[in-house]
Amino acid sequence: MSDYAADKVLDLKGLPCPMPVVKMSQEIGSVDVGQIIEVHTTDPGSLSDFPAWAETSGNEVLGSEQGEFIKIFIKRNN
Amino acid sequence: MEAKLKQELIETFGERLTKAAKMYLDNCSRCGLCIEACHAYASSPETRYTAVGRAQNIRRLYEEYFKKGKIAKKLNEAVELDDHWMEKVYETAYTCTGCRRCMTYCPFGIDTGVIQGIAKMLLITADQEPKTLTMLADMSIAKAKTIEKTKENFAAAAKNLEAEVLQRWRSEGGEEVVPLDVQDANVLYVALAGKHSIIPAAAIMNAAKEKWSLSYFEAVNFGAFVGNPAKTKEIAGRIIEEAKRLNIKEVVICECGTAYRVMKHMSGEKPFKVITFAELIARYVEQGRIKLDKSKLPAKVTYHDPCQIARQGGIYEQPRYVLGQLTDNFVEMTPNRQANWCCGGGGGLVAMGEKDFRMKSAKVKADQVKATGAEVLCTACENCHTQLSDLNEHYGLGVKVEYLSDLTAKALVQD
Amino acid sequence: MVNQIFYLITVPMVYVAVAWCIVGIVVKVARVAKAPAHPFTLKVFPDKDHPVPSPVWGALSMPTVRRHNPTFWVFLILFHLGIAVLILAHLDLLPWFNIYPEDSEHMIGNGAVGVVVTTAILYFLLRRFASPLREISVPADYLLLFLLFCTAMSGDIISWANSWSENGFVLTKQDFGAYLNGLFHFSWADPAEAIDGGHYVVLVVHVFLANLFLMVLPFSKIMHTFFAIPLNKLRRG
Repeated sequence: MSDYAADKVLDLKGLPCPMPVVKMSQEIGSVDVGQIIEVHTTDPGSLSDFPAWAETSGNEVLGSEQGEFIKIFIKRNN
Repeated sequence: MEAKLKQELIETFGERLTKAAKMYLDNCSRCGLCIEACHAYASSPETRYTAVGRAQNIRRLYEEYFKKGKIAKKLNEAVELDDHWMEKVYETAYTCTGCRRCMTYCPFGIDTGVIQGIAKMLLITADQEPKTLTMLADMSIAKAKTIEKTKENFAAAAKNLEAEVLQRWRSEGGEEVVPLDVQDANVLYVALAGKHSIIPAAAIMNAAKEKWSLSYFEAVNFGAFVGNPAKTKEIAGRIIEEAKRLNIKEVVICECGTAYRVMKHMSGEKPFKVITFAELIARYVEQGRIKLDKSKLPAKVTYHDPCQIARQGGIYEQPRYVLGQLTDNFVEMTPNRQANWCCGGGGGLVAMGEKDFRMKSAKVKADQVKATGAEVLCTACENCHTQLSDLNEHYGLGVKVEYLSDLTAKALVQD
Repeated sequence: MVNQIFYLITVPMVYVAVAWCIVGIVVKVARVAKAPAHPFTLKVFPDKDHPVPSPVWGALSMPTVRRHNPTFWVFLILFHLGIAVLILAHLDLLPWFNIYPEDSEHMIGNGAVGVVVTTAILYFLLRRFASPLREISVPADYLLLFLLFCTAMSGDIISWANSWSENGFVLTKQDFGAYLNGLFHFSWADPAEAIDGGHYVVLVVHVFLANLFLMVLPFSKIMHTFFAIPLNKLRRG
């Protein structure tokens, strides 16, 4: 169970480089400021990619979960 | 266009005028030999999709701002830099994949990549470059700072790959399956974000009993795609620092062409060797450190030479040697090696999307693959893999696009 | 008046053109030499695809052209070899050079070399009118070839066609030799005094066009004469 109530779920499992971050940056505009996107991915690199991307784009990685696949929770901040 | 920006652009251009750039801009005879070299022209015969066509967009600015003489300027069709011409500059920068096949046609060996580099830098100065590429480059740079906070999560994710790696190769007990931060390792393996670039490689290196370490950073360098030398250096610098810290002997770049060219040829002197993963596999096979089972690949296989490791890096024979150990049913595409057609996805085009142009401009590649009659299309670059997969779908080629590493890992013989 | 113009063309203008050309070449080469080196290698692989893997061989034998456009390559080789022979043939006009015997009426190649070169230039010019080459050509490309063509053509008239007259040669190796030798020794003598006949006008035209060519050379892509080898060196790393 995640601690965050996502407003949108984005399935980015199995995509080639650099599609997860590209898709994320395109989709962030589809939610309102303050809303949360839950990303599903299979890329270990995403766990460092998304926080770095959030840092440059002014958004926020709230947390992540690892299980069968990786979940990353991102809040739109601007 | 504002006068101030125009001045800045001309200065940017001037800063890029190295010996090579000057010679390339001055000496082209417009003999037209390069016309036939470009996959985009071969697929869609418009002269704007030729090396000379693209170079003229930049050369005509050079005639205007770096040459003297009113008559000479007229005769050489010099043009003023304005908003309209910036569209031409964009065409030079982003209808070319940087495959440098044209360089093997030109009698002078003019490197379109250098001229394209000027175009890309002008776009950056004018804030007109593809923002996706800048975003990705900035992300990579930011990672140098955020990495300390995310290391733990990454390590946990690497740990989670163990089961899948062990399916390919059962390591002996006590050994790290996906090791990180290994001091004095022989190999620092630099992967991409996706697990498909880590699992097969880990299995192969474990099978060879290599002392290796997985890098925290991704190999790909988007600074190079967007044509920003400062960012390119900074992105490569993260990996160089990591390799120095761990006292690594060899940095092995995963199946990513640009990453290899940047690290091997564009990052100056380094205290370690840089090789591609294809070279490492070939070495393991040659030294008998891994054994491969040919029955695992019962299909007709062909190989696509990725421009950035082949024409730009000289890695032609190693992948073929490995494929020779994986199958007896190998067929070359025509042409191949130095003359191979680019897949049409390089230079940032895959990352940018650009699917219509990528499909239109690479028809010649699709035809070439089809003509082999192969069932498996193997390559050793993620960018090529993505483009070839798109071509496969778009043109209904009916092949399976595979990584060399993955084919190898699937054929590992466990004694 | 006409005689004075002819004299200006055949003597002072030659000195100006040669000096202009040499200074121009030196300045152009120096500017490139002064520019910073490229920050990384521009090599393409394999870098040893020829038994003589030298940039000199690459520049002179143009293997990439031979591979991809053999017809064009034949004309290019004929043209460049022809130019080399013609340079030698012009030097040979001097009375103290004598590759061809001093009393020969012909210059080296008996005029045939010039015709070969002219044909090649015509081919280079005509192929530019066909698509897709037309789309990438600029006015300077046509004009330069046209200037070369006219220079070569006027040369053909005085070297080859001048033997067609009923009385044999109008102008001989010795006639041209006397003129060139005068230039070489700064005698400032008017060649009209030594060389006579209708072909003298063609000689003036030839010299005028050659002067123009020399003056344009440092500002044109003919500078590849000096840069072809360094350029091929970049490709070979």
